[in-house]
Formats: sequence, C-alpha cells, structure tokens
Amino acid sequence: MLVTPTLLLAGCERTLNALLARDPAAPARLAALVGSRLLIRLEQPHLELVIHYHHAGLDLMRGEGVDETEVDAVVELTPETFSEWISGASIERLMFDGKLAVRGRIHLLEATRELLFDLNIDWESELARWLGDMPAHSLAEGVRRAARWGLRAKDELMQDVSEYVFEEARLLPGQQQRNVLRDHLTELEIATDRLEARFNRLQRKLTQPPQSASQEPRL
Amino acid sequence: MSPTEKRTTHFGYQEVPVDEKASRVADVFHSVAARYDVMNDLMSMGIHRVWKRMTIERAGVRPGHHVLDIAGGTGDLTLKFSRLVGPRGKVVLADINASMLKVGRDKLMDNGVGGNVEYVQANAENLPFPDNSFDCITIAFGLRNVTDKDAALRSMARVLKPGGRLLVLEFSKPNNPLLSKAYDEYSFRLLPKMGELVAGDGESYRYLAESIRMHPDQETLKAMMEAAGLERVEYTNLTGGIVALHRGIKL
Repeated sequence: MLVTPTLLLAGCERTLNALLARDPAAPARLAALVGSRLLIRLEQPHLELVIHYHHAGLDLMRGEGVDETEVDAVVELTPETFSEWISGASIERLMFDGKLAVRGRIHLLEATRELLFDLNIDWESELARWLGDMPAHSLAEGVRRAARWGLRAKDELMQDVSEYVFEEARLLPGQQQRNVLRDHLTELEIATDRLEARFNRLQRKLTQPPQSASQEPRL
Repeated sequence: MSPTEKRTTHFGYQEVPVDEKASRVADVFHSVAARYDVMNDLMSMGIHRVWKRMTIERAGVRPGHHVLDIAGGTGDLTLKFSRLVGPRGKVVLADINASMLKVGRDKLMDNGVGGNVEYVQANAENLPFPDNSFDCITIAFGLRNVTDKDAALRSMARVLKPGGRLLVLEFSKPNNPLLSKAYDEYSFRLLPKMGELVAGDGESYRYLAESIRMHPDQETLKAMMEAAGLERVEYTNLTGGIVALHRGIKL
C-alpha cells in the first residue's frame, strides 16, 4: 500500500523526536546540525531516506527522486555496514574498506550517530513532569534499588547454580578437574608416542640385516 | 446577463448564488475552526496526517524556498514547511477564513514557529502576490470550497515561479465500488453525527460530505490544472482514491 512507508516513517520520526526531547544533551547536538540534510541510500532492501534536522528534532522523508545537490551529505551503505556503523565502527575504517561511500559533509554522519545512538534519556525528569519532583524521585529511587537488587540476585543465583552443578551434584567437571584431566591426557599422549617409537625401532631391528643392527644405539 | 438571472453554483447539494457561496463556506469554517484538528483526526482516524506527509514529500521543498500554503487552515503543512525552508526561506499561510487563520497562527506560535512564516487572509481566486513569486504552492482540502476553481488554479499558476510546483490534496472518487459504498455510508450517516457530538454542528459536516461528492474527480481536476497552464500534471490516489494528490509544474 502506497501510504505504508510514509506511515512507518511518521512513526519512526515521532518516536525519535520523543526520545530526543528527553535527552539533555540533544539540544546542543541538534543546534550544531539545524538545517542540515542527510541522504541515506541503503542497498537491499533498497531504501532512500532524507534526514532533515531542526531545533526540535528531525524530519524523516522518503528520498526517492531527491537530487544529491539538494542535500549536504550522501551516504551509501549496505545493511551489514549500517549495523557496523551503529555499533561504533570507525567511519574512516569503513570508508577505507570500501563498505561505505560518503559524499559531502562527512562529519554529519558522525554527528548523526552521536545524536541518535548516544541517547541518555532522563526518565526521572520526564516522570517529574507527570508526578511532581518528590514522587518521581522516590519512584526512580525505588526502580534503581529494584534494579540493583535484581542484578545482585542474578549474580548470586548464577553462583549458587554453578556451585550445585560442579561441587554438590557433580553433574559437570569444574575448571580444576578439567585441568587435571587435561594433564593426564597429555602424559598419556606422550607415553603412547614413546611406546610407538620403541615399537617402530624394534620392528626395524628385526627386519634389517645384522651388520646395520649392531650400529643401532641401545634402548 | 440581466440582474435577475443570477448565476448559481453548488454549496454541497444545494444551488446558491455565486456571490453567496464564499460567505456560506466561511460560516461553516467559523463554526468548526476551534475543533477542526480534533475532528480531522477523528473523521479520518488520523490518516489525514499521512496524506499531508505525502504532500510534503512530493513538494520537494528545500532550504531557501518560498512556499505558499493556500487554505492552510490550522497550519499542519506550514509547520513542516517552515522547518524545511529554514531561515533563508519563507512560508506564507493563506486562508480566506479569519477564524481558521487565527487558530493556525496560534498553533504555529505554540510550536515555536516565527521568523519565516507570514499570514495572509486571501481569496484563492485572486491571490495578492506578484507573478512568479513561489517555488511551491500547496492547497490541502481547500479547493473544493472555492467558488471558481478554474480562476483559483489560474491564479496559483500565475504566482508560481517557472519550474515551481503546485500540489492539490483533495478528496476524490474511490475507484473500488465496494469502498465507495462503505465510504458513502460513513460520510452521510456517521460523519454528521460525529460532527454533532464533537463540534456541536452536524450541518457543517453534512456540507463536507456533500461538497466532496460535488468536487471534480481525478481526471477532471487534472484537465483543469492543465487548462490553467500547468504541465506534467499527474495524480496519485491515496487510500483507494478517497483522496487524490495532484501535482503540476509550471514550465
């Protein structure tokens, strides 16, 4: 359906702008980008997207038919490169590897990544708008305490389970037992190699003529 | 023509004297201005925002452009255009109706839009701008309320710069008979009731449904745009033809 991509873009734009509005660092980052336009061309699935920055966030628009002269930078990339880029790979490295083609103001790409993927949302201040300062702080403190307890409980549970599995039920060997087993196996391997060498020499002794056998060193 | 033989035009399904239509349409919009946005969201289930987004995408507006948003009403398109044209560009929000213009101006000011937007109360048939003034003109859900559509299209073509584009977003004729039937039921039965409940004015929304039926279909409007001097006119049906987006270029 014709309106579906537009509908999806509208949803993405609204979500991103809502997140940016809650990031204390976003206004300063946006101020440096206001008025800039970035054209992103993704291969497979073929997608052209224009990002236009303004004071309150960004506009996402379909980029089909947009001339390169109408934008400040053009980026061409594959989905793999895109995932490398958002996971923090250096833009220079991606460009030198031939995975990323950028024309125009290259620093826009770095600034975009910083703006969208270094989001540090201040949930407590958002809650304070709805509930007031004190209740929001109490609620946020409660959530933080619950999160800390959750992390500690998870660590303790992992410790208990591993102790039970390795030490009490002995269902799996522990690290030390594995090391001992590996040492024994190595010794066995060396002994087997020596035995094999002796057998080979004995066999050569039995099959070779007596004069050459006298020159063999003693075992 | 003798003074007794007054020329008439349609106002919904009624025939009214030509010089009376503008004031009747004005009454409709004075009545609904305060609840216009809420009703649009309710009536279209929010899809009108997607139709307007598509208009903006097709407009190809760039920083520095001069844009005229005719019948801009509550300023949905102007808000976005003002960001796209930047401080070097200019957007003119024009509407014949002072109430709608006031609601639009307040809404835009609340959204922090200022420097590059101007507000003009103007009749689309006689636009008060010099020739070749705008890079892009849009009229969204406004053309069907204009008394003399041909004159309005000619006026728009006049103020458009060579190479500029005119976009007309307007209700049209659904191309599927089943959808058409469901749409008729919706707009003649449900819509006036919703208008009654939310905006307290069922009659205005009955006019809306009737005026949509009286509006030229896709091909007729395309021919009208070509007759007004626009070239490369094309249209895109949205949501099964309930709405059509026409685009023409002045060469």
